[in-house]
Amino acid sequence: MIKPSTLAMILAGSRVDELDVLTYYRPKSAVPFGGFARVIDFPLSNLLHSGIEQIAILSQYRGYSLINHIGTGAAWDMIGRHRGISILPPFKDNMDQSDWYRGTADAVYKNLDFVEYHEPEDILILSGDHIYKMDYQDMIDYHYRKNADLTLGVIKVDKKKAHRFGIAAIDDEDGEKGGRVTAYWEKPQSAPEADWASLTVMVFKPEVLYRALGENQKSHSFEFGRDIIPLLMSWDCRVYGYKHHGYWGYTRTIEEYWQSNMDLLGENPLIDMQAWGLRTNLEHRGIRDAQPALIEDNGVIHNSLVYNGCVIEGTVINSVLFPGVKVKKGAIVENSVLFFNNCIGADCRLNKVITDVNSVIGERVLIGPEVGTVADQVTLIGWNNKIPDGTIIGEGATVYPNLTPEQWINRVEAGGVLK
Amino acid sequence: MRVKKEALVLLLAGGVGSRLNILVQNRAKPAVPFGGLYRIIDFSLSNVMNSGLTKVGVLTQYKPMSLMRHLGMGEAWDFTGRSRGVKILPPHTGFKDSDWYKGTADAVRQNIDFLERNPADEVVILSGDHIYYMDFHAMLEYHRYKKADVTVGMMVVPMSEIHQFGAGIINHENRIVDWEEKPEKPRTNLASMGIYIFDRQYLLDTLSRDREENDFGMHILPRAIANDNVFAYPFYGYWRDVGTIQAYWEANMDIIRKNSGISPELWGIRTNMETSGLPFDRSPAYFGGHASVSCSMISAGCSIRGTVQNSVLAPGVVVAEGAIVRDSILFADCIVEKNSVVDLTICDKRVRIQAEAVVGAGNNHEIANRQQPKHLYTGITLIGKEAVVPPGVSIGRNCIINCKTKEEAYPGKEIEDGETL
Repeated sequence: MIKPSTLAMILAGSRVDELDVLTYYRPKSAVPFGGFARVIDFPLSNLLHSGIEQIAILSQYRGYSLINHIGTGAAWDMIGRHRGISILPPFKDNMDQSDWYRGTADAVYKNLDFVEYHEPEDILILSGDHIYKMDYQDMIDYHYRKNADLTLGVIKVDKKKAHRFGIAAIDDEDGEKGGRVTAYWEKPQSAPEADWASLTVMVFKPEVLYRALGENQKSHSFEFGRDIIPLLMSWDCRVYGYKHHGYWGYTRTIEEYWQSNMDLLGENPLIDMQAWGLRTNLEHRGIRDAQPALIEDNGVIHNSLVYNGCVIEGTVINSVLFPGVKVKKGAIVENSVLFFNNCIGADCRLNKVITDVNSVIGERVLIGPEVGTVADQVTLIGWNNKIPDGTIIGEGATVYPNLTPEQWINRVEAGGVLK
Repeated sequence: MRVKKEALVLLLAGGVGSRLNILVQNRAKPAVPFGGLYRIIDFSLSNVMNSGLTKVGVLTQYKPMSLMRHLGMGEAWDFTGRSRGVKILPPHTGFKDSDWYKGTADAVRQNIDFLERNPADEVVILSGDHIYYMDFHAMLEYHRYKKADVTVGMMVVPMSEIHQFGAGIINHENRIVDWEEKPEKPRTNLASMGIYIFDRQYLLDTLSRDREENDFGMHILPRAIANDNVFAYPFYGYWRDVGTIQAYWEANMDIIRKNSGISPELWGIRTNMETSGLPFDRSPAYFGGHASVSCSMISAGCSIRGTVQNSVLAPGVVVAEGAIVRDSILFADCIVEKNSVVDLTICDKRVRIQAEAVVGAGNNHEIANRQQPKHLYTGITLIGKEAVVPPGVSIGRNCIINCKTKEEAYPGKEIEDGETL
């Protein structure tokens, strides 16, 4: 195979409101994850290992961080004669028709000329927002075997949570592998009979996709889950479900995001990044410039991930530390996720905290409930903050990014918001 | 765009560094790993990058494969671009009198076409063997200000060590007035760091004058000092020629010691992290529930469940529960299995210390290695690349276990102090 037959399109433009301050300045797909990487590294690495080499990324919301991260695509071996990553931002054209993407389906529709130019034999559309390992090639093979118009990647979920997903009923044509989708409900309000949730990993026959996207333009809603899949079902297309049996991190709420980070820890972590073949762009944020982590005399680290560039003089337990995090003497960090270049001052106490990048936390700052106790809610600190010595921030509080010194108060109540 | 006639850099990276023993069995000295993530040559290359110089020729000779793989296209040091680049210059046949480089000056002479192809006012000649941070841009300014033909980077070293270096005697304006190469009875403590800036034309003339002059320190400099303008550029700061096992070990330990003056990250040292051909990037280091780590450097991809003290661990090292690693340097992907002990030891890549083994046993630090008493005499034990230390085996001080030694090669459960396998 010289010229790739598959074109992959990654939907990476959404913000995801529930992730709060973490997505004020970046789309969900560019949110840091795993102590050195970004969420979108998971689908990109999956593509790399699946041998799919033509990729387009549809980005709209605050694309800077994402564009920076993708760089040339070299980190995922995506440069070469027939290999490449194209970033497709919204645009205006001389017909003055194109504008902001009105939804995921609209985003692909507006770039159909790009798609058709590549003359793909199949089109893989996936979300850049989820954490999982999957061999897309196996799914594409299944798609061909079934001569399907659309094949959906699906995973079994708890029926009680079905209202959050697109849910498919699947016959048992191919057992554990998959089967024909007999019914589909997008985010059903009442509990459906089925429990296979769409992963937002879809393989389309190009002509079916083109027709569906064209038809969809007459509508007022432009989403794959809500509009395109039901449209294909209504046309009686051959829609198949391909069953995914491993880990899947949906991570649409802060709690879920925190939990996915905790899934990196332990003796047998649910997410094993090296075994999954995860790659990231080491040039982004100068990860490659960091020296190995320095653990000083009094440093204690238990059940934690610590990347290069960290300097640990205090105690770190059940936590994930990104490059350049400093934990000073006497500080205790538990159950927390600290993004790039945070500095935790002497004698601080952090329990179940997520801090975005570049915050300097003064001495004796308490964030979250007492260490050693089980924290219920995540406490969130937005980026570029300088937290004064002795500040107390209650459990579940949210601190907005870029606060000025005058905005700081001695105590932020539990569940409170400081902005 | 302005076409800059910026200085051309020649990096001499052919050094054998034989006193580093089995660490240089399969690689040249500049390619020896250092400080967890780095290789020795990264320091010179990064200094070149941080000085804003972008055209580099790397002269290789001895076992260059590892070095060439490490350099790649030079993108790690920002040397890729239309007017930038790093070129590997191996010895080549077809030259009138010789093939192999006969010395530092001969190596440069054999690549005179590279010099001619890349016009520049100055040529910076460096060794790829040293651990240091230096701004060559400042040195170039100094060279131009002094209107020197040659400027030599020099620093003060202890009198007892001067016999390993070229020694220069200077006058009040830093002009070098006399030169002694590796003097037995030194008259000065000012040592050459092997860093030279030549006026390009002066260098071309000098090299073509006498084909028997093969070494900068031995031949070229003494004559230049006698006849032309040679100045010393004084250097103050951290600089180590990690040419011996002891010096190599100490420089590694300096990184974890506070205020030792060495900091790869602050110095802006970069490395090529993609050479190992892994399908994944190294994840953050994992520290298990019972890990105990103090005063150590731990690289990404390590997995620590035991105890690590005063040690430098390269990426991918595994220290199992109950194992103890102390005062040691472990290269990439070493495995230290359950309840084993590694003390005052340097392990090359992918060494496997099996359960209950002890490397660096006993207190006979002074029993030197029998075969190489000049290499190992301070207690450090060396384990070669991909060697295995079988379960329960005890290895003493100043021992050498050669590369790829397998279980069958062990005569018994004990390897005595100073033995070599």
